[in-house]
Amino acid sequence: MPSKPALREGTAFTGSTKYVLDSELAQIVNVSMALEMPLLLKGEPGTGKTMLAHAIAEALGMQLIVLNVKSSMKLVESLYQYDTLTRLNDSRFGDSTRDVSNIEDYIKMGKIGQAFAADERVVLLIDEIDKADTDFQDDMLDVLDQMEFDIIEIDKRIRARNRPVIVITSNAKKDLSDPFLGRCNFHHIAFPDEEMMGRIVRVHFPDVAQDLLDSAVDAFYRLREIRGVEKKPATRELINWVRALRADPDFKPKKLQKGEIPYLGVLFKKSPDYAVAQNSVRRFRI
Amino acid sequence: MFIEFFFTLKRLGIPVTPTAFLKLQQALSMGLIRTIDDFYTAARAILVKSERWFDLYDQVFAHHFEGAELQEPSERELEEIARAMLEEWLKSPEELARALGMDEEELAGMSPEELIDYFLERLKDQTEAHHGGNRWIGTRGTSPVGHSGYHPGGMRVGGVSRNKSAVKVAMDRRYRDYSQEGPLTQAQIGEALKRLRNMVPAGPMDQINVDKTIYETMRNAGEIEIVFDRSLKDRLKVILAIDNGGWSMDPYIEVVQTLFNYARAQFKDLRTFFFHNTIYDVLWEDPPRRSKPFRVSEMPRLDPETRVVIVGDASMAPYELMATDGSIHYEERSGRPSYERLQLIAETFPHAVWLNPKMPDEWRYTRTIQIIQEIFPMFELTLDGLEAAVTHMMSRN
Repeated sequence: MPSKPALREGTAFTGSTKYVLDSELAQIVNVSMALEMPLLLKGEPGTGKTMLAHAIAEALGMQLIVLNVKSSMKLVESLYQYDTLTRLNDSRFGDSTRDVSNIEDYIKMGKIGQAFAADERVVLLIDEIDKADTDFQDDMLDVLDQMEFDIIEIDKRIRARNRPVIVITSNAKKDLSDPFLGRCNFHHIAFPDEEMMGRIVRVHFPDVAQDLLDSAVDAFYRLREIRGVEKKPATRELINWVRALRADPDFKPKKLQKGEIPYLGVLFKKSPDYAVAQNSVRRFRI
Repeated sequence: MFIEFFFTLKRLGIPVTPTAFLKLQQALSMGLIRTIDDFYTAARAILVKSERWFDLYDQVFAHHFEGAELQEPSERELEEIARAMLEEWLKSPEELARALGMDEEELAGMSPEELIDYFLERLKDQTEAHHGGNRWIGTRGTSPVGHSGYHPGGMRVGGVSRNKSAVKVAMDRRYRDYSQEGPLTQAQIGEALKRLRNMVPAGPMDQINVDKTIYETMRNAGEIEIVFDRSLKDRLKVILAIDNGGWSMDPYIEVVQTLFNYARAQFKDLRTFFFHNTIYDVLWEDPPRRSKPFRVSEMPRLDPETRVVIVGDASMAPYELMATDGSIHYEERSGRPSYERLQLIAETFPHAVWLNPKMPDEWRYTRTIQIIQEIFPMFELTLDGLEAAVTHMMSRN
């Protein structure tokens, strides 16, 4: 339901302007927030895992801090960085306002550090945790559990002023390590059904014509059935596709029902997939 | 509360932990869970940590809470239950006493009226402390008194529900697709293969080496001297040899294709070969195995650090593996048994593994699988097997 960013009972989460929330997920978000546990979200790409964190932040009026996990990332980078090079530079030229003898001036907070140091409660999104190795994941959970970490260089302990709302996403089909899972709440976002998808598209295009919406969503689910496609079109592709269809003055929703699918390239982005899709569209008129 | 539910989950193989269970209790005590729908979602989020178990959870939930909407029973209902308990008590005192954790001797002295009062007291305790907990009221099977026997429709009254009750939702078994434990289907392989890496410095010198920079700057008497390094890139060589012949591999074509696609996207330096059943004098670079042969005797000239992954069901007639002219293709017969060829490959490349799409419990029924297992470490072609294989290939450095 495209509800306004309303605050029910102060801090409960009910959905936001651009995010269609099912009541199940809303309940899970609220329980996780109350229990102060990170929420781990899994699901196919395009089911709105990342969007959820944006939506929570928007709905609760909190700042969102995003940590995009990379495979080469070390935990300490997400906590803080000691900018040795700037310090070296400053000590050489001495033309900055920083105090060279004070190492703290050269400590920059990483994303987790920022979330801890923030004056107000923030939403911390840790995106695609599965990219990092297991050690990173476990160590990070330690930090999030304790809500504190040490900056070794200046022997200072950073404690979270407010426990952030933590959302973690993972694309992986395989499970994360047991200790990691033990500290999170878990939800798997299934791919939305047609009705839900219709609502999602409507949130993005409130004035979309009903017949266009219906036939586009219908065709979209038929196209997802095509076998031998490596990357199936997801929500993002559908939204872009609807945008393209709306922009085309010659387009009539009837065409979709007859099996003419324009702008296949918006939906299928890999060239072998595109070829497969084009082939089956031509042959089966789906 | 819901201890029984917890243990049912555990008994059926869902890895639920006591810590998570305590978290659930915390959520309950915080008043976060008001309806059975809330309980369904919250308990799943807290207890069940993978979509693989969602289906099983749904089944347990539906079974356990069938007919037991969490609702405070009314006074009249309590009385009816108490009467039912009395009847139960008259039939088999010891069983009821055990189920309720009461002392049989203690109850034996009471009159029926006293007993009913006693039961009512207990029931009220139960409902107050448990907010309508289902521990022994209203569940079928687990308790001596239930709605199925004496109170049709029992606790099932009302309750806030959306369009469907949680039990109904659970009965839908929406997550059946995710519970498959079988072999890989799509899109899972990339994850496992990502671990297969060999980072070496390559490319332009664009990464600052801080330690060396500081050292060189000191040596330079404080004059800044910045030292750059090449960044680390993956330069792993991989050979993928696929058994693409014969009907015995047909059921696995899709899985192997997925593996192949991901491997191609993942590794810069990947060579793919094809063979039928087992390897003789040549491997083929073209899938029909006709035009581009690669002689196995050439293999020792390749980098021994190459990771070799052989995919095949390793199932064939034993002579194909052991006999000097074992190949079913006439032109491949050269007087050396395939067995020796495989050994040559295994000796040349210490990081070689054999992936078998057959599940390990079938392996011991096929003689040739056992023989090949002696030459190559064999793993099943599932996510777990693939990961074990990758670990194996990366460890013996």
